[in-house]
Amino acid sequence: MREESLIFLISVLFVLLLLGLIYTQVLNYKIYYAQSQNNFIRIVPIDGPRGKIIDRNGHVLVSNRLSLDASCIYQEIGRKDRFINALEEMLQVSSKDIIGSLGRARERPFAPVAVVEDIDKDKAIAIEEREQDLSGLVIEPRSKRHYIYDDAASHVFGYLGEVNEKELEGLKEYGYRMRDLVGRSGLERYYNSYLMGMDGGEQVEVDALGRRFNVLGVKEPVPGKDLQLTIDLRLQLIVDRLLGDKKGAALVMDPRNGEILAMASHPSFDPNAFVKPNCGPERMRLLKGRGKPLLNRAISGLYAPGSVFKIVIAASALETKRISSHTRFNCAGSYSLGNATFGCWKEEGHGSQDIIEAIKNSCNVFFYQAGRAAGVDNIEAYAIRLGFGKPTGIDLPEEASGLVPGRLWKMITKKSAWYEGETLNYSIGQGYLLVTPIQVLRMTSAIANGGKLVRPYIVKRIGSVETGGARLQDTGLSADVINVIKEGMFRVVNDPFGTGKHARVDGLLIGGKTGTAQNPQGRSHAWFTGFAPWKDPKMAVVVLIEHGGKGGMDPAAIARDIFKSAKEMGYL
Amino acid sequence: MIPFKERMRDFDKTLFLVTIAIFAVGLVFLLSATSIRGQDLNFSYVSKQISSAVLALILLVVIININYQRFLDAAWVLYALSVLALALLLVIGRARFGAQRWFAIGSFTIQPSEFLKIAFVLTLSAYISGKKWMMENAKNLVIPFLVCAVPFLLVILQPDLGTGLLLVPALLAMLYVGGANAKHLLTVTACGILFSPVFWQFLKDYQRQRLLVFMNPSIDPLGAGYTIIQSKIAVGSGGLFGKGWLAGTQNQLNFLPERHTDFIFSVVGEEWGFFGSAILLVLYFILIKRIFRIARLTSDLSGKLIATGIGTLFAFQVIINIGMTIGLMPVVGIPLILVSYGGSSLVATSIAVALVLNVGMRRSTF
Repeated sequence: MREESLIFLISVLFVLLLLGLIYTQVLNYKIYYAQSQNNFIRIVPIDGPRGKIIDRNGHVLVSNRLSLDASCIYQEIGRKDRFINALEEMLQVSSKDIIGSLGRARERPFAPVAVVEDIDKDKAIAIEEREQDLSGLVIEPRSKRHYIYDDAASHVFGYLGEVNEKELEGLKEYGYRMRDLVGRSGLERYYNSYLMGMDGGEQVEVDALGRRFNVLGVKEPVPGKDLQLTIDLRLQLIVDRLLGDKKGAALVMDPRNGEILAMASHPSFDPNAFVKPNCGPERMRLLKGRGKPLLNRAISGLYAPGSVFKIVIAASALETKRISSHTRFNCAGSYSLGNATFGCWKEEGHGSQDIIEAIKNSCNVFFYQAGRAAGVDNIEAYAIRLGFGKPTGIDLPEEASGLVPGRLWKMITKKSAWYEGETLNYSIGQGYLLVTPIQVLRMTSAIANGGKLVRPYIVKRIGSVETGGARLQDTGLSADVINVIKEGMFRVVNDPFGTGKHARVDGLLIGGKTGTAQNPQGRSHAWFTGFAPWKDPKMAVVVLIEHGGKGGMDPAAIARDIFKSAKEMGYL
Repeated sequence: MIPFKERMRDFDKTLFLVTIAIFAVGLVFLLSATSIRGQDLNFSYVSKQISSAVLALILLVVIININYQRFLDAAWVLYALSVLALALLLVIGRARFGAQRWFAIGSFTIQPSEFLKIAFVLTLSAYISGKKWMMENAKNLVIPFLVCAVPFLLVILQPDLGTGLLLVPALLAMLYVGGANAKHLLTVTACGILFSPVFWQFLKDYQRQRLLVFMNPSIDPLGAGYTIIQSKIAVGSGGLFGKGWLAGTQNQLNFLPERHTDFIFSVVGEEWGFFGSAILLVLYFILIKRIFRIARLTSDLSGKLIATGIGTLFAFQVIINIGMTIGLMPVVGIPLILVSYGGSSLVATSIAVALVLNVGMRRSTF
């Protein structure tokens, strides 16, 4: 019977089908079950916002704002050409850029990849409404860092950058993911581990189009800790304005405890450029940039101190009793050592002076002799005692140490003995010596506060915890020596012929010292460092202007305006 | 006319009840396949399917009361009409999913290829039984092959690869049962396979893609391979007892395309597991066994051929459909009889069952 063989053939096929079902549903059940779970359960990360940065009075300096990114899920894009056209038309971006982003999206076809970052709210709404044409496009809210005062105190804050693969290895255990931002400089870098939030996540059920359906569980994100700074926004803005487009640095600190009230380094930059889209060229300019805008000159810029170093010479010579406050040296406009002649800045000379007058006049010839009297070893020792040659320990990254030369140093690095002529250069803050503005400020503070070396700091409070504040270290300078130097610094500003007379403020007694540091690159660097009120100092200021000429001019004037503003604010 | 009572004696109640049972199971899964998780159950498809079933049942009752010989008499006319309808579709057919398979009349759509299958079986039965036991002669194979070839090409052009491919086993089975030389049939089949590269040229890109993907779904996991992969995941993740009715994540979260039509078996597999799949498979097997039982018991060759043709069509439709949900068969787009959503398929299936019941009821007459 032919029907019989036919039904036999069909039976065989049915048995094969049954075996197929057993193979799929029984033997491979686990594999397929896992795949079905993967299909619909996704972890959607929720950004843990970065901590805010506020000033000493609670003004918000750096915060986060909501940015809407137009992202695409490559897998769900319908027709590419229509998708590109629609985006081009709605967001006014070039199709080339969109195609580039799509290329990136293709590598992660199931994950949203930003095509156009930071779009207007109106456009975002318009896109949501056109969901039909733009399938695969999602609006992703992201938290973006926002530096409210643009380039003010930019070097204090630093900037952010996307974590790179190498860093990711180390940061993974802290919940870092690809494309997360990490501090690249400034406080953003120094306090990155406090500022960064812990991302949370939502475990959601999604349908075939990746649309969320049902939330299975939520792990709340933990926001990063807020930083409260010692910086006073008002003063900071003034300092930034005063420095203007001059290259240099200005710092304001409380000499009693090391609280930094303002820190400016110019040229500055806008840290927003590192988080905003379409700032690629600006970022390149900053990173490569002429004039090194990213360098924080206040703590990382190395300069010869020039005459401000005479404070160290005075301290070492007096403290080691090589000279006394009554010792007088004559200045005839120049000083001869062997065959060489070392000039004073005033050709006709200052005549006979004691140390207080010499500080007031910033007389080189006096200090050549005082320096020789002290000797290179003492100068070196007192420079180090006053905080030079090592980082101040401020809570910012990339602080420079500077260089305090000495016999040993010269023997090791230059393979030669120390020459007496070098001691003369040393005595007026020239030669191998390199200092940072913050080191000069710290030295000034030590004189102002009676001989204590403070550790400067910027962050007062992390979250709700005080950072511990002042750390003082005794320089070992005696009160007599300090009083002599202070007296000299008082004269610098308040004597009618003082080199720093431009720093004078009515109704406020200021002590200070100017500096004009010759350098091989061109015009002299100009320094002013000072403190006020003279009797009971509450504020120390240092101003450095690269190639700024005489310290008694622009820097002294800037310091004057800073003191004046601080007085108006009630600090002094 | 045989008295009603006598006719009902040979009415195959098992066949009828199994048909109803499969349909009922189908409704249960249609409801699941058309509902979305977290929303109210969607009865719109189910109620539409039930109204089609009412029409199907009325037709069934009408047909079993007309001697099937009348249908054989009208076979060529029915065949001509269906071929004409297919040709017309190519001209004015409405495009849907890249396929032109429907006539739209108001809100109803009619799929002529479903009815063509029946006309095809009737026509071949009429022809072969007319050449009573002379099918050994190879000359007599020409007309049956032409009867198959014309609609075959028309449905392929629609393009409806599935229906086209279904006609071939039915043709071979009916010729075989009708007494054709097995060697002839094998030769022709071998030739057909040899000429398949030519046939390949006539396929549309997406059909070629589907066949290639059948060989290796991973070549295009988000394109043509997507359906196969998602369907296998659905069926496989059902395991022994399934995830429970309305609880299939593949189904309810929309990962399965065409899950209320061609891929409804994936829903069965996911929600009721191997257990439920096997039960459905057994029901189909009983259905087909009963149809072949009637073929075997019927002495009238034309009646025997009708049952054979319909039994073969049903068997291959089930095998291909279920096979494609687990990747054993290429995705060719044919519905699972009595279960997939679709009025034309349901009505045509019902007519086919009615014809077989009809043959069964009158088998003793001859």
